[in-house]
Amino acid sequence: MGSDEDQDRDPLVEALVRDVDMSLIRRNLKMTPQQRVEQLMEMQRFAAELREAGRKVRGKG
Amino acid sequence: MTDYRKALEVLRGGGVRFIVIGGVAATAHGSSQLTNDLDVVYAREPDDIARLAAALAPYHPYLRGVPAGLPFKLDATTIKNGLNFTLDTDFGPLDLLGEATGGGTYAALLPATVTLDLFGGPCLCVDLATLIRLKRAAGRPKDILALGELEAILRASASGD
Repeated sequence: MGSDEDQDRDPLVEALVRDVDMSLIRRNLKMTPQQRVEQLMEMQRFAAELREAGRKVRGKG
Repeated sequence: MTDYRKALEVLRGGGVRFIVIGGVAATAHGSSQLTNDLDVVYAREPDDIARLAAALAPYHPYLRGVPAGLPFKLDATTIKNGLNFTLDTDFGPLDLLGEATGGGTYAALLPATVTLDLFGGPCLCVDLATLIRLKRAAGRPKDILALGELEAILRASASGD
């Protein structure tokens, strides 16, 4: 089942679809759902490290 | 950070009937967007509520963003008297939804689910077309922005891309 036709015609959604990086989508679709969730947890860890690094830099400033 | 493995193990191990929606469902379907909490629609029969309260109790569920020390306890009575709860737990942020905007209750969403094998067991997850519908119904800026990627995944999956 696809999304409804109204959505397919939604110009905002169509504009957003055009900007999607399909290489990332294809990469993700090759993974299992569990691998995708594990990747999400890795992204969270990385984001947390970046936030902490930013805090340290601001603390030194 | 959310330990999704632990969260799913706790809910599943406690016999909770739930459906994963939101950003984690988007991830499971192939989204590359970062999300920080687990959104689930839970069944609200009395036995379900009792199992949910018992399963979460050891993980110190508390209202997210609320000052510490308030007399909040996520027990069966609280869940029965409430509906949707945004929580912090020992395994991370958890949103419990008795009803999802645009999707309704657990029973209403059940026909629109797929069973995924996640962290050693089956896990009901809302299907992609319905997830798109839920995002549209939620209508927050972040939901609208997610629509483009989800729609692209739906089309790529349908075309075998």
